[in-house]
Amino acid sequence: MKLDSKIPAGPLAEKWTNYKASQKLVNPANKRKLDIIVVGTGLAGASAAASLGALGFNVDIFCIQDSPRRAHSIAAQGGINAAKNYQNDGDSVERLFRDTIKGGDYRAREANVYRLAEVSGAIIDQCVAQGVPFARDYGGLLDNRSFGGAQVSRTFYAKGQTGQQLLLGAYGALSREIARGTVKLHTRCEMMDLVVVDGRARGIIVRNLATGDLERYAAHAVVLGTGGYGNLYYLSTNAMNSNGSAAWVCHRKGAAFANPCYVQIHPTCIPVHGDYQSKLTLMSESLRNDGRIWVPKRKEDAEAIRAGKLKANDIAEENRDYYLERRYPAFGNLVPRDVASRAAKERCDAGFGVGTGYAVYLDFADAIQRLGKEAVEQKYGNLFQMYQKITDENPYETPMMIYPAIHYTMGGLWVDYELQTTIPGLFAAGEANFSDHGANRLGASALMQGLADGYFVLPYTLQNYLADQINVGKISTTSPEFDTAETAVRQRINKLLQIGAEKSLNSQLSTLNSTDHYHKALGKIMWEYCGMARNTESLTKAKQLVSELENEFWKSVFIPGTANEMNPELEKAYRLEDYFELAQLVIDDAMHREESCGGHFRTEHQTDDGETLRDDERFMYVAAWEYQGHGQPETMEKEPLNYEHIQIANRNYK
Amino acid sequence: MNLPKIHSISKKILVGALGAFLSFFLLFHATANLLILRHDGGEWYNAFCHFMGTYAIIKVLEIGLFGALLLHVVLAIWLAMTNKMARPVGYKKPTRSKTHKGSKLQVWTGILIFACLLLHFTDFYFVKIGWLKGKYMAKTEDVVALKTTQPNTFNYAEQHGEYSAKGNWLTNFDKEDKAVLEAAGLEVEPDFYHQAREKFKILHIVISYLVFFAVVWFHLRHGFAAVFQTFGLYNYKYAKAIEVLGQIFTWVVCLMFTVVVIGVYFGL
Amino acid sequence: MKFTLHIWRQENARAKGHFETYPLEGISPDCSFLEMLDILNEQLINDRIAHPVCFDNDCREGICGMCGLYINGRPHGNDDGITTCQLHMRKFHDGDDIWIEPWRAKPFPVIRDLVVDRSAFDKIIQAGGYISTTTGGVPDANTIPIPKHKADMAMDAASCIGCGACVAACKNASAMLFVGAKVSHLALLPQGQIEAADRVHKMVCKMDELGFGSCTNTYACEAECPKLIKRQNISRLNRHWIGALFGRDRK
Repeated sequence: MKLDSKIPAGPLAEKWTNYKASQKLVNPANKRKLDIIVVGTGLAGASAAASLGALGFNVDIFCIQDSPRRAHSIAAQGGINAAKNYQNDGDSVERLFRDTIKGGDYRAREANVYRLAEVSGAIIDQCVAQGVPFARDYGGLLDNRSFGGAQVSRTFYAKGQTGQQLLLGAYGALSREIARGTVKLHTRCEMMDLVVVDGRARGIIVRNLATGDLERYAAHAVVLGTGGYGNLYYLSTNAMNSNGSAAWVCHRKGAAFANPCYVQIHPTCIPVHGDYQSKLTLMSESLRNDGRIWVPKRKEDAEAIRAGKLKANDIAEENRDYYLERRYPAFGNLVPRDVASRAAKERCDAGFGVGTGYAVYLDFADAIQRLGKEAVEQKYGNLFQMYQKITDENPYETPMMIYPAIHYTMGGLWVDYELQTTIPGLFAAGEANFSDHGANRLGASALMQGLADGYFVLPYTLQNYLADQINVGKISTTSPEFDTAETAVRQRINKLLQIGAEKSLNSQLSTLNSTDHYHKALGKIMWEYCGMARNTESLTKAKQLVSELENEFWKSVFIPGTANEMNPELEKAYRLEDYFELAQLVIDDAMHREESCGGHFRTEHQTDDGETLRDDERFMYVAAWEYQGHGQPETMEKEPLNYEHIQIANRNYK
Repeated sequence: MNLPKIHSISKKILVGALGAFLSFFLLFHATANLLILRHDGGEWYNAFCHFMGTYAIIKVLEIGLFGALLLHVVLAIWLAMTNKMARPVGYKKPTRSKTHKGSKLQVWTGILIFACLLLHFTDFYFVKIGWLKGKYMAKTEDVVALKTTQPNTFNYAEQHGEYSAKGNWLTNFDKEDKAVLEAAGLEVEPDFYHQAREKFKILHIVISYLVFFAVVWFHLRHGFAAVFQTFGLYNYKYAKAIEVLGQIFTWVVCLMFTVVVIGVYFGL
Repeated sequence: MKFTLHIWRQENARAKGHFETYPLEGISPDCSFLEMLDILNEQLINDRIAHPVCFDNDCREGICGMCGLYINGRPHGNDDGITTCQLHMRKFHDGDDIWIEPWRAKPFPVIRDLVVDRSAFDKIIQAGGYISTTTGGVPDANTIPIPKHKADMAMDAASCIGCGACVAACKNASAMLFVGAKVSHLALLPQGQIEAADRVHKMVCKMDELGFGSCTNTYACEAECPKLIKRQNISRLNRHWIGALFGRDRK
């Protein structure tokens, strides 16, 4: 495997302009002859499919839900960043670029991030033209709010439902193309395998989730916009059906997987409350604009609260420890996510946690006093209501309880400047790729990246790839490569169904377990030993436990029903099968990266006051892993990160 | 069955528009009815009925009214039927969703109103068009003209009839009187004043009319506000006003009808 | 807590369905409704009594619109302004009988158990529920100022999650609130006014064609909408419909 990032020559600010000026294009008549498969209908997938369809390509788009509008981009609450400088507070493309690189702890590729900042403004223009109802001020112009990791207000938002509105905008554009016939929509379809013909991605095998049928689709190029793998941890802010399998089957077919250990933990989620819990609910980062985070200063107070003897409001002001404001006076409660998460964990581990012991307070008493209850309600009403529905506590009266939870995965399929993976013809966009966020993503940047990739990058770079494909003709789905791929999928499903079937015949019922049982166990191992803080010891342990669990899974998982019907348990099982392999890779990657950066915190590598300690000498590179077969250690290739434009510094939010 | 294609919203708007038209007719009808309460031997009320029964434009409007009523009913039932088809398999548990009062009963109150209308027609309208017999009256000047030519008939008329307040009409003839007078070549027309005063003395008729008005009340109360919604005129700013206006309209119309019926029963 | 569940079971789209009764014990009041169903399914798997109950769900935070169950006579259960995934068992009484049914409407056929096909909504949107823009070539975002109250109204209408509760609640299985919300969202914004008349016409025609009922001003949709979308949007739809029929804006 050879990594070629294909970064265009020239000064950073001119790279994208130069690329566009010199890239190959496909003329309109030829576009009609070219087929593109897009998997996923989130911001990246929907915007890519809509843009490519509008250009005149034939697009097939797939999603596992019943409608493209369900993709988990819809759940993003806070906002989308763009370097518009509408507030005249000193923002610029350069500033957004620097913030993102710094926020990512100097582990992102300069050229990609600069391009992201460069097209960010156009995204807002595009969305407004589509009718996205962004918040406005009384003069009728667009309003902004501030977000973690930035000292300017550059976040555009639509109430607490920005992701929803952006997705509905992209979904509208997609629906228009579907109506025009340039895009064909396939709902309730899950990508099961990638078909590679003569070294190029040429199609996919999908399973129709409503009927269980396997179907074949061929195209000249395949785009993945399938999101991240956060559900590896079972409890996360991801949707129940979000999964990493589409990316993983591509990895199995030869696409390199980059930086899998960079997992983002979001500081403001509703804490875990029971074993039956299926997911964690995020409370928007925007709450940190006005909420103050604290725990009791005295351990005995924390203990009394945990025992139910004291309430949050019983703790006097001088006995509260606003630990973020104390440790990071410059950014205060608005430090980046990884910093805020680790600080919460540090306090709870030290015995100052409230609730079950794994929670801290997010207090709005000051904001309510300063702005009035009405203003707070105006800003955060729907979030407060959501909190109350879940916890049965009124956040206007008593502080919210929050705790960090798995939220986003910065790692993903390795892509070059054109968003092409190491398999020619296979592209990855949005959270599915690794490219823009380094070791930590800033708030409100995921939406920006998904839409940048879909609206403004792929429509160019795909043409560059497709330009020499115009004479290939229709790709056939009856080639031996398709046969082999489909057979392999069928065998894989049958193998899973077989495990429990044999045992239940031999009346060994009690030894069998459901898929969820194993998924929860895997999640616990990963959270415990490969979560917010990692070290050689915990990672060694995690590796061993995951192996044991996987063996157990292959012996005792029980999947009811058959392959030829709607069967959610089967879906969970084959996704979990991929998670077992992915977990090993996350652990290996975390193990090899003997430094702390962004979301990856190795306890062996920290400063005296508990901050991340990077090792730029040894680890200033992207780790791209290559699959070697089930159970085999993967090989790693390094893509060095050359910072030509930016001055490397310690990430300091004090 | 090949029905003309009318979009669902258009159908609804038509039903609403026709309903609004019929509501105004009701207001008109109820106001006119108040004349029955005048103890003038039917002078005013019958004059009004005479005008309504003879004026040409009114006759045209009358056809329009019946057309509107029929179309209102047909469209509403057609809508109800297509709406039923939109849910072929129903729920096991009956709905517990909060809904606007009366809206779900609208079709049924409508059908009840239609049934009550038939009763109302047997009392009045069918008399007018001659299908049934009731009370009658004749113009005094026509009767007086008989004094010289047919004194017997004139005397008969004076004995059996009553003079209205100003004496313009000889009223309160029975169906036997009608035959006699008509045989003498007199033109008679229905005397709704006495017809009403006779009918509203009978308890079961009074009760059935009160039921009728209650159903109309239900139908109007939802219908009035719903028309604004259907015409796209509903707005939070005026929501309260529309609701209040609807209440007032509904109560005024129904009370006016009720006052006449009850008033006559108790000899007012 | 203890419950007796009565759940609609239907093997596939063509099969005849029926209600099945399952007793369930030891449920925490803090458990969400869907987590309660998870627990039931875990039991069904462990005891091999039956195939686990299929039900649509995804984000479990009330925004994706995937979940939707008709619970004891109300879409999304007995609480206002929430989706099924946000319903918690503390809203029930210990020992309650809980009837769980799929959305019932001709355009929403059952696929399996409690899972229905809502692609009819996508078809309505495809008929015109968007502003026709292609990527690029649009003006700067701030060149079109929009009064704040208008933008807020558009946002309120746009918060529809397409779950179908309005159709499920309506006695006529009407999609007027769904269509009204989309028409309002776009028509309230200057960008959306250019195609407003055409849009409303196409969307309503598609809605009729797909077999949704019509509005009889019952407003059960408004009462059950998890995003509290108001019936004013239906009124606005009616107004725009009249405009589309008689105005000169339509092709």
